[in-house]
Amino acid sequence: MTLPRPVRAEAGEPVDVTMTVNGTEVSLSLPARVTLADALRDHLGLTGTHLGCEHGVCGMCTVLVDGSAARACLLFACQLDGADIVTVEGLGRPDDLHPLQEAFGSHHALQCGFCTPGFLLSSYDLLAHKPDVAEEDLPVELSGVLCRCTGYRNILSAVSEVAGAHRDGIPEPRNCGHHVLMGHTAAKPGAKSAPEPVGVEEIELPQGDPTFTVEVTQELTASPEKTWAVLDDIDLVAACLPGAEITEHLGDDRYRGQARVSVGPIRLSFAGLAQVTERDAEAHRLRVIGQGEDVGGGRTQAVILLVAEETGAGTRLRATAQVYLTGRIAQFGRALAGDVSRRMFEQFAAAVEETAVSGVRTTARKPPGALALLAATLAAKAREWGRRLRRAEHNPPTHPKGTQR
Amino acid sequence: MKAAPFAYVRPATLDDAVAELVRSAGEGKVLAGGQSLVPILAMRLARPSTVVDIAALSELDFVRRDGDELVIGALVRQRTLEGHPLAAAVPLLRLALPWIGHRELRSRGTVCGSIAHADPAAELPAVACCLGASLEIAGPHGRRTVTAAEFFHGAMATSVGAEDVLAAVRFPVARPGEGFGFAEIARRHGDFALAGVATRFRADDGEAAFTAFGVSDRPVTRDVTGLGDDEVADLARDLVDTAGDTHGSREYRQRLVAALAVRELARARRAAEGGTA
Ligand SMILES: Cc1cc2nc3c(=O)[nH]c(=O)nc-3n(C[C@H](O)[C@H](O)[C@H](O)COP(=O)(O)OP(=O)(O)OC[C@H]3O[C@@H](n4cnc5c(N)ncnc54)[C@H](O)[C@@H]3O)c2cc1C
Ligand code: FES
Ligand code: FES
Repeated sequence: MTLPRPVRAEAGEPVDVTMTVNGTEVSLSLPARVTLADALRDHLGLTGTHLGCEHGVCGMCTVLVDGSAARACLLFACQLDGADIVTVEGLGRPDDLHPLQEAFGSHHALQCGFCTPGFLLSSYDLLAHKPDVAEEDLPVELSGVLCRCTGYRNILSAVSEVAGAHRDGIPEPRNCGHHVLMGHTAAKPGAKSAPEPVGVEEIELPQGDPTFTVEVTQELTASPEKTWAVLDDIDLVAACLPGAEITEHLGDDRYRGQARVSVGPIRLSFAGLAQVTERDAEAHRLRVIGQGEDVGGGRTQAVILLVAEETGAGTRLRATAQVYLTGRIAQFGRALAGDVSRRMFEQFAAAVEETAVSGVRTTARKPPGALALLAATLAAKAREWGRRLRRAEHNPPTHPKGTQR
Repeated sequence: MKAAPFAYVRPATLDDAVAELVRSAGEGKVLAGGQSLVPILAMRLARPSTVVDIAALSELDFVRRDGDELVIGALVRQRTLEGHPLAAAVPLLRLALPWIGHRELRSRGTVCGSIAHADPAAELPAVACCLGASLEIAGPHGRRTVTAAEFFHGAMATSVGAEDVLAAVRFPVARPGEGFGFAEIARRHGDFALAGVATRFRADDGEAAFTAFGVSDRPVTRDVTGLGDDEVADLARDLVDTAGDTHGSREYRQRLVAALAVRELARARRAAEGGTA
């Protein structure tokens, strides 16, 4: 551990602090009285660190600081210059849980889950420093965290199982790579703000069945050639996608970019990679694999096929996306996520049309407005219900077994 | 539960830290591990104008053996000392440290911070008194050393003035044939003690002493060389100087401290005679 730099700040004046959070270096500029817990939650969007008592008693806010469990409510963020922090988000990822997380799940060691992040990091610290801890010592060793659901028995058996399985040392946290931490308060002008993107440049191919598939067809008045001219330029494609932006061309038709989506109270900010895997100028076909990660470790992957087909009147733009979701975005609900994606494609198609016709880089630079998107989604739902209702009126449903009667 | 605004300084040298405290004219507070100070600030029980974080004072980041003393600088955390090879020379520290709060608090809390904070129920002030440790204080008029017996003035009151920094604590190392005991009773593990006792015993001359904590406004030490168990128990009972509270009556604390003193003196004696601490 390195000693922090000397600092002086008047009351209320922000203090610069650079620390590593779940493997990613972040620079913040905060008043000295902001605690680490508040910095993680309010400034970095890492809400897995919970707050109960805010004075060191309940253990909800326990995180790892330089490898040892500590109370995030009893530290001012400005004290942590140069420190290495691991929060529950860094411990594992939804598709690659840490053994402790697995064990908490399988032992039913979480009820409301409020204490779970604190228990996970407290027990991680325990097993990292005392892999040979005796089972009968666990109640005292884990007494620094309180569970208001009184799930202690199951918590102890979860930790005990992991201890037994890893006497030679607990596996390292699994999600401490490069992340995009949102809401970065940029330091003073000139100071480093967002972390430099580092790490993986490789796109992983999605595995298994997609979470949902979206297919949209839109008739455009622009000619297939003009439409293709838009599709052939990745910056134009991104510009047509609401909330999306290409930040770097990596070569070999690979790109780094980011996207922001907000729906109601949900705000997701993805950073990721895109790779064009098929670019067929003859057939006007473009296939892109995109992969993005949000701050909560949620991951989205999508295989998107765009085809501009000739029709008598212009172009039929067909977009097919197979979308793979993990993490908190998956909880979004497939239907809603699918609806939102569909709306995004409709907006995309409209923007492609406009760009193709006008030849000017156009529209959709802002993230889709929360209200507009939701309203559109709800309106679409209402239309669908309306249709179903009308259909139902015309063809009253037959009793499943009615025909037998 | 948020601290009021304060000026924050993290000086690079001990002299600068003292200068900052002088500048803030009695309104400054030293921040070490923050495990006691931050809750006090969060509850706005204190509103210092300036918080002087000593985290960058590299000159105070040491644990070293100096003759027959173990010297611990103000940056040393409780958990660091718990696992430090040199700490074995002061067995009473090894016995007492695990009783401080929880692992998560000891990760950040410092040894000197606990002594400077001087909570009457805290473990390390009692250890300092039981061993006759000395405290190195840096102030505007230079450095001075104070014995533990003089250092604690009352609950959270010590020889560390508003413009001083407790720079280091010096614990005498155990001699061969010395044994120690330590125990406390709290409502649950990690809480401050309702009553606690640190003891030492020397096999060659039979010198025995115990320090009671949590029963008065500061740790109290009694020489009990040559006394029998009943006399020790009576002495211990007499030290209880706190009234009853919701956690335990005065009589309950008297029984606790008497029982602990007798038991932990026996432990110290066994350790001394068995040659282990
Ligand atoms: C839930 C909880 C349970 C706890 N249980 C226990 C327990 O059982 N036993 C126990 O002993 N403690 C306990 N503590 C307190 C904890 O151990 C603290 O670590 C300790 O009392 C203070 O050390 P610190 O380094 O964190 O000091 P800080 O909190 O930074 O400072 C405490 C006070 O001492 C002053 N100070 C600190 N260092 C210096 C210095 N070098 N020079 C001058 N002044 C200084 C500060 O100005 C402040 O007034 C508990 C705390 C909590 C939150
Ligand atoms: S919120 Fe930090 S210990 Fe309770
Ligand atoms: S599971 Fe609800 S607080 Fe522990």
